[in-house]
Amino acid sequence: MAVSLSTWVLISNFKLAYNLLRRPDGTFNRHLAEFLDRKVPANANPVDGVFSFDVLIDRGTSLLSRIYRPATAEEPQPNIAELEKPVTAEVVPVIIFFHGGSFAHSSANSAIYDTLCRRLVSLCKAVVVSVNYRRAPENRYPCAYDDGWTALKWVNSRPWLQSQKDSKVHIYLAGDSSGGNIAHHVALRAIESGIDVLGNILLNPMFGGQERTESEKRLDGKYCVTLRDWDWYWRAYLPEGEDRDHPACNPFGPNGRSLEGIKFPKSLVVVAGLDLIQDWQLAYVEGLKKAGQEVKLLYMEQATIGFFLLPNSNHFHTVTDEISKFVSSDCIKTIGERIMQCIGALLCVDYVCLFKCFLG
Amino acid sequence: MKRDHQEISGSGSNPAESSSIKGKLWEEDPDAGGMDDELLAVLGYKVRSSDMADVAQKLEMLEKVMGTAQEDGISQLGDTVHFNPSDLSGWVQNLLIEFNGSTTTPDPNFNDDSEYDLRAIPGVAAYPPVKSDPGLENTRKRAKTESSSSSSSTTTRPVVLIDSQETGVRLVHTLMACAEAVQQDNLKLADALVKHIGLLASSQTGAMRKVATYFAEALARRIYRIFPPDSLDPSYNEGMQWPALMQALALRPGGPPAFRLTGIGPPQPDDTDALQQVGWKLAELAERIGIEFEFRGFVANSLADLEPEMLDIRPPEIEVVAVNAVFELHPLLARPGGIEKVVSSIKAMKPKIVTVVEQEANHNGPVFLDRFTEALHYYSTLFDSLEGSGVAPPSQDLAMSELYLGRQICNVVACEGMDRVERHEPLTQWRTRMETAGFSPVHLGSNAYKQASMLLALFASGDGYRVEENNGCLMLGWHTRPLIATSAWRLAGTESGSELTQELS
Repeated sequence: MAVSLSTWVLISNFKLAYNLLRRPDGTFNRHLAEFLDRKVPANANPVDGVFSFDVLIDRGTSLLSRIYRPATAEEPQPNIAELEKPVTAEVVPVIIFFHGGSFAHSSANSAIYDTLCRRLVSLCKAVVVSVNYRRAPENRYPCAYDDGWTALKWVNSRPWLQSQKDSKVHIYLAGDSSGGNIAHHVALRAIESGIDVLGNILLNPMFGGQERTESEKRLDGKYCVTLRDWDWYWRAYLPEGEDRDHPACNPFGPNGRSLEGIKFPKSLVVVAGLDLIQDWQLAYVEGLKKAGQEVKLLYMEQATIGFFLLPNSNHFHTVTDEISKFVSSDCIKTIGERIMQCIGALLCVDYVCLFKCFLG
Repeated sequence: MKRDHQEISGSGSNPAESSSIKGKLWEEDPDAGGMDDELLAVLGYKVRSSDMADVAQKLEMLEKVMGTAQEDGISQLGDTVHFNPSDLSGWVQNLLIEFNGSTTTPDPNFNDDSEYDLRAIPGVAAYPPVKSDPGLENTRKRAKTESSSSSSSTTTRPVVLIDSQETGVRLVHTLMACAEAVQQDNLKLADALVKHIGLLASSQTGAMRKVATYFAEALARRIYRIFPPDSLDPSYNEGMQWPALMQALALRPGGPPAFRLTGIGPPQPDDTDALQQVGWKLAELAERIGIEFEFRGFVANSLADLEPEMLDIRPPEIEVVAVNAVFELHPLLARPGGIEKVVSSIKAMKPKIVTVVEQEANHNGPVFLDRFTEALHYYSTLFDSLEGSGVAPPSQDLAMSELYLGRQICNVVACEGMDRVERHEPLTQWRTRMETAGFSPVHLGSNAYKQASMLLALFASGDGYRVEENNGCLMLGWHTRPLIATSAWRLAGTESGSELTQELS
C-alpha cells in the first residue's frame, strides 16, 4: 500500500496533534486544539471561481455557517451587499456540509474543510453551506444534530436559495466522519418534519457499536488510529453512561429504528478499505438496503481515511466523479448538455476501440 | 422503494506491497514534489518539498515513541508551549525534543503556566487551583524565531453576516450608493442619498441603526465639508494591562526585577494629567506587591514628536527595554516620514521586544470607495459584536465604546490628509513594514493564546469573540472575522527575548 507522501504527512500530523488533545480523563485540550487548527477566513473575493461568507444563523448557540457560492460570469466580483442574491439557475443543488473531526475536532473554517467545500462548489455547481456545529465533549449528543437541524431549516427557508424551476431549495446533506453521522441523523429529522432532502453523501461516516468487529480488531493501530481513540470520541459525544449501541452511534443496532417504509433520501456512502471502522460503515449500507432504501457504496480498497483532502490520488478523482454524478442526476439537463454528453461518450468509445486495436 | 445499488472498488496500487505495514508507508513521486508543498500550503502547512520526506520520518519516529509511552504521557505534551503550527517541520522537531528530553536544562518558563499567570491578575478568583502534574520533565525549548515570509498578495474579504433582514440590505445598498456618488464627486446625488439613509436608519434597530447613523453622519460631513474636530484619543491606555505584568514580575522565581514604565500620551483637553493618574495607581500597586517601580509620563501630540534621547534609555547591559504600541502606530501613517521616524527611534532604544496591536482592517487604501466599503464591514461587525444578547441594559462602557468607534468612523470617512489618522492596515502590511525596518517576528505561543482565550471568556463570555493563531501572531476576532492583530518583534539578528515573551504574554 502506498499513499502519496503529502497525504501521509498531512494525516500523520493530524493524528499526532489529536493525540495531544485527548486527555485520559475524558476532557479535551480545547485551547491547544484551536491554536493548532489551521483556519482560513471567509473570502467574498472569488478565488478560482468560488467566494464565501459566514452567516450567524443562531446567535443563542453561536451557530455559524460558511456559505460558498460560485462566482458568475455576469458578476465576477460580488457586491458585498449582494452576497445573498438569489440563485439564477433552473436547478441549483444546495449541499449542507458537516465537517469531520469525530465530533470533537475541526471547524467549518478549518483550512482542510474550507478547501474541500470549495471543491464541492466547482464540482457540483452547487451552493455549499458548511455548518459550524457545536462539538464534544463540551457539547454532547444531541447538540450536533440540533445544530444540523437548525441549519437545515435555515437553508430550506432562504428564498435566495430556491431553484428557479420549482421555487424550492434542492437540498443535499454531506459530511465526512462525524459529519457523515450527522447527515444521517439530520436526514431522519427532515423526514419527520416533511422537509425534502434529495440525497445524502457520507464520506467515511462515523458509526460504531459495542461489539468489536473484525475490521476493528484487524486494523487497530495500523494506520495511526486505534480503537481506544474511537472509544474516547464516543464517550465524549454520547450521553454520559450510554454505550455504543446508542442509536446515535449504531443506527441499525439493537436500539436503532427501522427505516422500512420511510422515504429516506438516496445515499452515496464512501468507505476506505484501511479504515478500522469499515465494518460499521458497511453494516450501515446493509441496514439501508434491508430497509429498501436507495444506496450506492463506493469501497476504496487501498484508501486511508482523509484521502479526499488532497487531490493527488486516484481515489480522490473516483470519489469526486461519483459525487458529481450523484448530485447532478437530479438536474434537468438542457438539450445542448445532453448532446455534449453523447458526443463525449462516443469519443470515449472511439478511444477505447483505438486502444484495443493498438494493443491487439 | 426502488433498490439500486452498485459497488465500485477503487484500488490504486499493487496489493503485494501491503504486507509490510510498518515498512514504507508512502510513495515518493519526484515529479509531484513541487506540487505537494503547494497542496499542503493551501491547507495551512508550510513544508518545503525538500523537507517533506524528513518531516514524514520524524512523524513516524514520534508515532513509534509515543506508542510505547503511557497514555498519560502523551496528552501532557499538550501542556508544553507550542509555536507556529504552520511550520510543520519546526513543530514536529520541537515535539521530538520535548518527548525525548532535551540536552539542555529544564526551564520552568517553558511550561504552559498560563493559568498560573492569569491567577496573578488581581481580582481573578475564578480559577481553581491547578492539579500539580506528576513531574513530567519540562525541557527548555528555544522559541522559534524564523521570520515568516509575507503572505499571499491576493486580498481577502472576510465577511460575517448576522441573519439579515430585508431592510438592512436596502440600507447597505443606499450607503454604498452614496459613497459611490461621493467618489464620483456627484455631490447632488450624494446629498439626496445621505438624507434617504437617515430615513432608512431610523426604521432600523440595534447595531445596524447605530452603524448606519455614524456612517451617514460621516458621509454628510464629507459632502458638506463640515469636518469633525481633531480626533481625540480617549487614552484607552489607562494602564489596565500593566497590573497583570507587574503581578507576573513579582512572582518571578528569583525575585522581581526593577520596573520602569514610560507612558506616552496626548495632551488632555480638560487639563487633567491622565498619565500621572495612571502612574500613581501603578506605583501604589507596585508598593503593595513589592516591586521597585518608577513611572515617567511624556505628553506628546504624536509619537513622531519624540526623540529617543528624551527617554533616557540606559544601555542594554543595565536595562532591558520592551516597547508596547497599542493602536499607536497607524496614526503615524498620516504624516510623511512619521512611521519611519518612530520605528527608527524604537530601534535606537535597542529593545529586547516590541509588541504591536493594531486594527485588522484595510482602511488606508488610496480609493475612498474601497476604504468606505472596508470600514462599513469592519465597523458593522464590531457593532454587531457589541450588541450582545440584548438582555443586559447598555452600560456606560458600552456607550463609551460606541462613541469611540463612531469617532473612528468619522475620521476614516470624512477626513483626508494629515487629519485622517485612523489609517488602519492589515497585519500582512505591518509585517512587511516591520521586517523591512529590520525586525524579526517573535512567535506568540499556545500559552499566550490560551491566556487570551481565557480572558475573553471571562470578560465577554458567549459573545462569539475568538482568538486565532496566524503565523506566530494572534488575532482577536468576532466569530470568523479578525478585528485586532497582535504581534511581537525583536531586532533582526539578536536573540529572542523569550523570557520576556512569556511574561508579556
